[in-house]
Order: sequence, then structure tokens, then C-alpha cells
Amino acid sequence: MRWTKTDTTQYLPEKEYVDTVLIPLIPFDPASDGHMVKQAYQKELNHVFTNLIEKEYKGRIFLAPDYHYLNGQNERELDRVNQWIATFEKQPFKHIFLFTFDPKWKKHEFDLEGELIWVPGPSSGNIQSTETQSFVKEQAHQISELIQAYW
Amino acid sequence: MSDKKRVSRRQFLNYTLTGVGGFMAAGMMAPMVRFAIDPVLKSQEGGDMHSVASIDEITNEPQRFEWTIEQVDAWYESEVQKTAWVYKDENGEVVALSPICTHLGCTVDWGSQEEHPNEFFCPCHGGRYTKDGVNVKGTPPTAPLPYYDHKVKDGMLYLGDTISRKGE
Repeated sequence: MRWTKTDTTQYLPEKEYVDTVLIPLIPFDPASDGHMVKQAYQKELNHVFTNLIEKEYKGRIFLAPDYHYLNGQNERELDRVNQWIATFEKQPFKHIFLFTFDPKWKKHEFDLEGELIWVPGPSSGNIQSTETQSFVKEQAHQISELIQAYW
Repeated sequence: MSDKKRVSRRQFLNYTLTGVGGFMAAGMMAPMVRFAIDPVLKSQEGGDMHSVASIDEITNEPQRFEWTIEQVDAWYESEVQKTAWVYKDENGEVVALSPICTHLGCTVDWGSQEEHPNEFFCPCHGGRYTKDGVNVKGTPPTAPLPYYDHKVKDGMLYLGDTISRKGE
């Protein structure tokens, strides 16, 4: 399910079946010429990943709107992320997963109220290439197995 | 008498110019007309059949095939990936099933569960379908997996739209 009119309409009467949320955590720094390309690329890659997982498990996973934050501000963002999680839990969602390529979250993993899925992502490449496609498919498969282990 | 049949220089030039002018006008008009009636000539969106696999690849065991289609809605034109489970039944007839669970739209897998090796299984809520795509009673789905409209041409399998089946 996605944050769209069609999907949310379908979600409401079927709430009991959709018990998992996936929140993409996406860092960006509009002031940094050096990191802009990499961050934009990882944002695209994050979308490809989360969309693929959502497509396979549409009936159980709700894909949250992207959580954007300024790069490097992870510690200051903790409260806001946890607030997102707490609000989703009111629905009630049972499993909250946070999907990111940003390694800085790892250090704060235990302060997060959701399960962190950090994947070391490539910092450059061609999103359309066959290598990227097989990388994404393989990784997405394993991530969905990880999520299934919590069900 | 013979003078009347003769074509004067003026007439000859007139004829030639009209002829050449006519050709040029026709040459210019033809593509315009073609553009104007283009939507009429275009085959209907969605009614398209897509070549998915060679018929030799299809066995009695369901296999997963993927292909992409162009999807156009009011705002976006996008490439959408489609998937089908395809196999030949006992009579050698091709069966193409949609992998989208009729419960809430997850993607079903073939034989992924050890207790039910010859069934389609939905990982989200444990929905099950027999090989012909009929939902197993007592599991969440209430309708069978839809069929794909299919045809075989020149040794290739073509798949079109899904045809949903009524639940019992």
C-alpha cells in the first residue's frame, strides 16, 4: 500500500491485514556540491528498493511517505523519527521498518523505536543498468525475507 | 483541324505546372492527414498482446515470466512490469495466471511452502491456490487468480489483459 488515494481507501477497511510500515529515510544536503549527486542517486535507489518491496507485499506492507532530513543531523532527528513511528503505531501498525543507505543511523539504532534496515548502497552507478537491477532484486529479496521473519 | 488538337505552349505549361503543383500539395497533405487520423489508426491501449516467452520454454511446472508494458494515465506515461505464472496443463494447453493475490494484491509464489509444494502461496497472509489458480477454502483469498488472455503465434506466447474469475 502507498500513500495514495486508491491505496489508502483500500487500506482502511482492511487495516487488520496491513500491519507493517516501511519508512524510507533519505538524507540530503542542498549546500554541498560534493555530495549532491551521490545523495540524489541514493534517493533514487531507495525508491527503487522500497517500491519493489511494496509491490511484492502490497497487502501487508504500507510504504510511508519519504522521511527527508538534512545530512549529518541524525542525532537531532531522532525525536522526529520516533514521533513518526509513534503516530503510525496508533493505526495500529505492529512492525515499523526504517530503510536507509545512510550509515550514520547505525550508531543510533537502539534509540530508534523501529527496526533499522541499513543497506550499504553503491554511491554511484547507472540506475538502469542490468548490474544495478540484479543487485536491487537480490537485495530486495533478502530484505523481504528479513521482514517476513518478524511476521 | 489539326491546329485545334495541338497543345499550345501556354496550355502545355499550364498542364505541367498544375501536375507538379498537385504532386507537391499531395506530398505535403499526406503526412498531415495521417497525423490527423492517427488516433483512429492506433490500436487500443490495453488490448495489446505482448510476446512473453518462447513456447518451448513452457513446461508442466509453473514458471515466472516478466515483461514490461507502457502504461498511460491522465498524468504519467510509465513502464510497468508485469508478471505471469505460465505452464502447460495435462492436455498441453497453455495456462497463464496473474500472480496478484485476489485478497490484497501481494505477489504469490509457486511451491514456496514445504507443506503445500504444488500450490501457489501468498507470503502476506498465507493465502493458497491450487495449480489451476483456484483459491483454497479457509484461506484469506475469496476468488481464483485471474487468467491472462493468451495466444500462441510463430512459436511465441503472447499475453494480453487479465480476465478475472468469479469466486465461489
